Amino acid sequence: MAIPDGYAGKALVINLDNREARFLPIDRFWADYGIDPRLWIGGDGFITKILWEDFQTAIDPLGPENEIIIATGPWTATAAPQAGRAMLGCISPETGGFSSGSFGWFFPSTLKYAGFDILIIRGKCEKPVYVFIDDHEVLFKDAAHLWGKETGETVKLIREELEERYEGEVRVLSTSVAGENLVKYAPPCADGTSCPGRTGAGAVMGSKNLKAIAVRGTGEVSLYDPRGLLDSSDRAVRTFLEREPLIKLWKEQGASTSLGTASNWPLSGANLAKNRDEADFPHFMNVGCLNCHSPCYHWLQIRGGKYAGVRQLGGHMTFLTVCLRNLGIQDFGEWIYFERLIQELGLAPAAFSIAYSWAVDCFERGLLTKDETDGLTLKLGDAELIFEVARKVAYREGNLGNLLADGVAEASRKIGKGSENIAPHVKGKAYLQRDPRIQALMWALGFLTSPRGGDWLRLHNVWELAFLPEKRDTYRKLTGKSCAQIYEDALGLLDMPDDLKKKIFGDPLKVDVEWIKGTRGKATFSVWTENFVGVFNSLVTCMFGAATQFLMVGFGPTTYCEILAKITGWDMTYNELMDVGERVFNLQRLFNYRIKGWDYRNDTWADQRVNEPAQMGIYRGKKVPWNDALQEYYSVRSWSKEGLPTKAKLIDLKLGDIAEKVDLPE
Amino acid sequence: MVDEKVLVFEPHDCTGCMRCMTTCSTYHNGATSLSKSRIHIIRHEGHAVSKMDEREELIFDIITCQHCDEPFCQKVCPTLAIERNGDTGAIIVNRDKCVACRMCMVACPFGAILYDQDRRQVTRCDLCDGDPQCVKFCPTGALQFLPKRLAHLPKRDRLARKMTQIRAGSILQTRI
Repeated sequence: MAIPDGYAGKALVINLDNREARFLPIDRFWADYGIDPRLWIGGDGFITKILWEDFQTAIDPLGPENEIIIATGPWTATAAPQAGRAMLGCISPETGGFSSGSFGWFFPSTLKYAGFDILIIRGKCEKPVYVFIDDHEVLFKDAAHLWGKETGETVKLIREELEERYEGEVRVLSTSVAGENLVKYAPPCADGTSCPGRTGAGAVMGSKNLKAIAVRGTGEVSLYDPRGLLDSSDRAVRTFLEREPLIKLWKEQGASTSLGTASNWPLSGANLAKNRDEADFPHFMNVGCLNCHSPCYHWLQIRGGKYAGVRQLGGHMTFLTVCLRNLGIQDFGEWIYFERLIQELGLAPAAFSIAYSWAVDCFERGLLTKDETDGLTLKLGDAELIFEVARKVAYREGNLGNLLADGVAEASRKIGKGSENIAPHVKGKAYLQRDPRIQALMWALGFLTSPRGGDWLRLHNVWELAFLPEKRDTYRKLTGKSCAQIYEDALGLLDMPDDLKKKIFGDPLKVDVEWIKGTRGKATFSVWTENFVGVFNSLVTCMFGAATQFLMVGFGPTTYCEILAKITGWDMTYNELMDVGERVFNLQRLFNYRIKGWDYRNDTWADQRVNEPAQMGIYRGKKVPWNDALQEYYSVRSWSKEGLPTKAKLIDLKLGDIAEKVDLPE
Repeated sequence: MVDEKVLVFEPHDCTGCMRCMTTCSTYHNGATSLSKSRIHIIRHEGHAVSKMDEREELIFDIITCQHCDEPFCQKVCPTLAIERNGDTGAIIVNRDKCVACRMCMVACPFGAILYDQDRRQVTRCDLCDGDPQCVKFCPTGALQFLPKRLAHLPKRDRLARKMTQIRAGSILQTRI
């Protein structure tokens, strides 16, 4: 098979057992794994297929048999918009099932410039080591002196040690103390900036004694139609910047501030609107990854108080949400400090904050005593206490540190006494905020259906709740448009066939309170969104290209098709591209079924409170019809009532060979 | 007299996305790379290499051909391959004369000229024949294409606005 344009051309397979590096031409690698690149594209597609071929049964995720897979895609490192991303996959230490996550900054593009579409790391070193990929050469470097170092210092020491010839030449994906201490949700971090945050791969690196992967890449990526790519990208970006309803706000206020203050999300963070008065901004522009036109990183400095002067490149929505919702931290400076601390320790914000807030719940109910909390009185809102516990968790210090380091699911199993019934997780993975009922039915339905376990990023669709018109309409003063107008514009901009739009929004198309509070079209829209997420995670490009606030009106599949054609020369249609996303999602579901036996019985809340009537949000005073919603969702996916892909569906998705190998409903 | 234009970079508007670099290499080489771009964004990523209590900066800056009025590169070229384009004022390499001796690289005080091993030639910014693609593709306007005699204006304008704000008391920060 000729290698299409847009791919770097090689796979790199590293075995830490014997410190061996194997280089494989990518077409040979594809043949070995039965990968047709047009069916899987790259990124999440490749990771899913590789995990499927490599693991038939469950393994110990922190044993040497687990593997770390980093996969770029044809989009990565080209002149296409937002080309800085790759996916990282492994078996999740939290769930034992499928895990992958998107990350960016400049590690992914540099890996591709070094010549690699795929990097797989297997085995375990007996001593701490880091791997240096120097274009076409792979070196194994002693990392004993780096063990125990936090993120920023690790990056600095490695860059110095490898004598980079200009700043930023060497890119470093490292694990920090939390990963070394096998905190089960610890992510790695790329250049102290971008993390595949929900993977738990930092712990997998720790289990392999792998401190970091450093890369230097000086090559180039071939293109099918270079000038065409520039034209298409230019058009796409200009259109995005002109019509995306919230881009102006986004660029001024950053990824989190716009969500927390401007949107009508039920967040209690109005004080954060004043963030410009409460923090210094040494660099006024948001900062982003390669080729980004809607950058999300804010360069922040805490202005006053105990932590005055601490700096952080971030300001992300996840941190704001968990600080406000799960931890009760209201102060802007403390919020920035929390973000920086979590990044330096290599912890994950959602998993840690859910574990902590669950411990507070348990403590208040007498399920955890001071013996088990090392004498601490646990409570929400006490930032100092929370920072102290975060450090304990990262270092697995004491009873409490060790308990919370295993994640909320395992911790609740250990404590028992009914604490399992108030543990906010699905399939062993904590979700973003404690009460998913507020955000039924699409966003929170994704916690149940995501192949990663309780997780919000694979169904990141806020149509039903971004702009609740009966709440305060803050958008008019920020964007000059009312909620209703923004919805109306978005309906026109959504890149979706008309018949599908009508199925979701009715004929004529309409989004109003009735639609928001109802169930019509939600399952269909959820499935479309998950497939769409599968597409940009396989290309690989950034979710913020789809839209800054996930109304999905930025780049759509049509734009992706056009640009992909210029990169690879493929004439893929809208449906073919969306099929890739659907294929990837179905195989991830099947993968979890094969190794973990997960089906409809696992699409459920561990936290029994979620089945009670909601206290706020769309379902205030009512129970959320989770099971009805799930059955409708399965039916839209053409899955069985047990939540399994049928043979007919798999054959439809060109997965006939796989359908033969697994015992499935017809 | 032709009003010669040059690239003008405003670091405070730069988001460090490097789109100028991917565009440059794609436009000129037909393949995307950072290493072969004729424009280079320097990145000081202080946030990535510091401990929590260290105050490091995050800074972007630019290196590219300045198209000097009296270019050292031209003076040292043994084959007289370095010429000024009469239309754009850009200093360009005449490929028919160039022997890729790389003396221009030695002479350039900015390191703005590079050697492309795959294509076996020295490359440098040629202002894309008067339509610089990096400027066209910069998503924030941090790169502008202005007459040399006006190149100072964006910085002066930004400072003036800041001073006005400081005097009016609408901001306290004196940072420039």
